[in-house]
Amino acid sequence: MKLRKLAFALAAASLAAIPVAHAEEGEYGVLMKTLSNPFWGAMGMGVEDGAKEAGVEYFSQAVESDQAAEPQLNVCNTMLERKPVAMITAAINSTNLLPCLKKAQDAGIKVVDLDGNLDPAILDKEGIKITFRIGSDNVAAGAQGAEYLVSKIGADAEGPVLVIEGLSGNITGEKRARGFADKLKELAPGLEIVASLPGDWDRGKAATITNDILTRNPDLVAIFAANDGMALGAVESVYAAGKGDQVTVIGVDGNSDAVKSIKEGRLNASVAQLPYLVGKQAVENVKKAIDGESVPTDVAVPTLVLTKEVLEAGTEPMLEFVK
Amino acid sequence: MATTATPGIWSRAQRASIDRLHIRLESFIVLLVLAAAMAVLSPFFLSVSNFLNILLATSTIGVLAIAATFVISSGGLDLSLGSVMGLSGVVGAYIAVNLGAPSPFGVGACILAGAIAGYINGQIVTRAFVPAFIVTLGMLGIARGLALVISGGRVIYGLPEYLLFLGQGRPFGIPVPVIIFVITALVAHFVLAYTRFGRHTLALGDSEGAARAAGIRVERQRRILYTISGGLAGLAGMIFMARINSGDPTAGLNYELTAITAAIIGGTNLFGGRGSILGTMIGALIMGVLQNGLNLLAVQSYYQQMAIGAVLILAVFIDQYQVRKETRA
Repeated sequence: MKLRKLAFALAAASLAAIPVAHAEEGEYGVLMKTLSNPFWGAMGMGVEDGAKEAGVEYFSQAVESDQAAEPQLNVCNTMLERKPVAMITAAINSTNLLPCLKKAQDAGIKVVDLDGNLDPAILDKEGIKITFRIGSDNVAAGAQGAEYLVSKIGADAEGPVLVIEGLSGNITGEKRARGFADKLKELAPGLEIVASLPGDWDRGKAATITNDILTRNPDLVAIFAANDGMALGAVESVYAAGKGDQVTVIGVDGNSDAVKSIKEGRLNASVAQLPYLVGKQAVENVKKAIDGESVPTDVAVPTLVLTKEVLEAGTEPMLEFVK
Repeated sequence: MATTATPGIWSRAQRASIDRLHIRLESFIVLLVLAAAMAVLSPFFLSVSNFLNILLATSTIGVLAIAATFVISSGGLDLSLGSVMGLSGVVGAYIAVNLGAPSPFGVGACILAGAIAGYINGQIVTRAFVPAFIVTLGMLGIARGLALVISGGRVIYGLPEYLLFLGQGRPFGIPVPVIIFVITALVAHFVLAYTRFGRHTLALGDSEGAARAAGIRVERQRRILYTISGGLAGLAGMIFMARINSGDPTAGLNYELTAITAAIIGGTNLFGGRGSILGTMIGALIMGVLQNGLNLLAVQSYYQQMAIGAVLILAVFIDQYQVRKETRA
C-alpha cells in the first residue's frame, strides 16, 4: 500500500514538474512534422525569431516521426483546444490533417500550409481555404541542380545520368526530380537520364541504387538526388567505386552534413533550402494577414546552390540563412 | 495497513471489481490521477470537446488494443496489427475509389482484408509450427509492402459520402469512430469475460497442455483468435481511412507496439492467461489522456515518448506487486 502511494506521488510529481504553458490572446499554433531532422529544427528557429520580432505568442508541436500521420492529426485536434488564431501546419501527407484543418477553418482560425505539403485540388474538394502556402519552389530547386551540373561539365557534355527520387508518390521529391529532368533536357540534351528510381529518402537505399547503376553504366557522369541524405549515400558509393572524379553528385536541402561533405570536396553541390527563412516569413505573413494586409496565396522562398566555391568565398548574402 | 489479515474496503472493492468487471482498480486509479493532474495543469483539459478528442484519438489504437488483448491473453502475439490496419485502409479505399464500388463493399473490404491477413497468420502459426512472433513479424512486412504496392506509394483520396460518415459523422455530437470503438469494446468485453469462447481463450493462455487435456480444440481456437485480431485491425483501418478521407499506406506505423502497451498497462499478462477488455480500454485511455494532456501543455513529442514508457513500467510494476501480494496471502 505504501508503495502504491509512493508510486502515485512520484507520477504526480513528475507531471507537476512540467511547466504550465500559459495561453495568451492571439496565440499562433505551429505544427511541424518531426524535430528529429535539422531541417525542421532550423525552421523552428526561424519561427521563434519571426515571432519575437513580430511580437506574437506561439506554441509549437511535432510528432515522433515524419510518418506518424494519425498521431499528427490527433495533435492537431488537441492544439485547436487552445483556440489559436492561426494554425501554421506542415502536414505529413496531403490528406492526414484535413479533418483538423476543416475544424480550424470552421472556428475562424487562419490555416497556413508550411512547406507546401497540401494538394490544392484536394483542398478545393474539401472546401478548405488556406490563407497562404509558403515554402521552397521544389521544381525550381531541381532546375537549379541541372543548371549547376551544366555549368560544371558544359552544355555539350554527353553521358548517362542517374536521378534518385524521394519516397515514391511524394510530391516534393517528384517536383525536384521533374524540375531537374526538364531543365537538363533543355540545357544539355546530350546528358541522358538512364534511370530515375525512388530512394525513399533513405541514405542506404540511395547507396545501393548508385552501386547497381554504376555496375550497369560504368561511365555515369552525374547523380541528382532529391535530398541530401540520399546524395550523401550516393557519394559514398561513388567513392567506393573509385569514381569520385568522374561522377558529379548533387543533392537538395543544404543540411549540415551536406555542407561538411561539400567542404571536404566529396559532395559537389546541394541546392539549399532556407528553412530558417521559411519559418520566419511564415510568421511574418500570418501577422500581416491577421492585421488585414493582403498576403499572396503562394509565398516562394528562394533556394541557393551551395558549392565548395560559394561556401569558401562566403560572400553570398543568403548564406546567413543556411543553418 | 493490514489489508491481508482483515479484508479492508480497498481489498473488498478490488475483489468486487475483479469479479464483476474483470478490471483491477489500480489502473483505474492511475487513470483518474492522471486526468486530475492534467485538469490542474491545463485549463483546456476539462471540456466535453476535449474528452471527445481523447476518445477520437484513442479509437484506432483502442480497437487494435482489443485485438492485442484477445491474442495475448491466449498466449499468442500479433505484431502485424499496425501494418494490417494500413493495408486494410488501402484495400478499402482502392475498392471504393478506384473501382467505384458502393460504400458497404468498401467497409467489407477493409474488414475482410484484415481478417484474411489474420487467418493466414493463424494458419501458419498452428499448422506450420512457426512461432507467432516470427509469423506476425513476417506479416508486418508483407502487409505494409502490399499496401504500398496497391496504392503505388501514395494516398488514395476521395471516398464516397457514406464511408466518410463513418469517420467524420457526428450524430448527437459524438464522432462515429468513438461510437464504433465503444460498441466494439463492449461486445469484445462480453465475449472475453462471459462466454465459453472467452474462457477457452484465457485457459489456452494459462496452459496450452491443460486446455488441450480439457478438450479445447486448441488449434481451431488460435486460428479464430488470429482471424478476429486481423478483422479488428481491418476495422481500425476502416475508421482511420474514413477519418482522413483516404487510404494511407503508411497508416498504423508502429501501432502494434502501442496497442500491446495499452493491453499490458490494462493488466493483460504478456504470457497469457489473464486479460480483460475493459482493463485494456483503461490502459488505452491512460495513454490517450497522457498524450492529450502533454499536447495541451505543448510538451515536445520526445518527452511524451519517455512519459509513456515510464507509465508502462510503472503500471506493470504496480500490477505485479499486487498480484504477488495476493498470491502470497
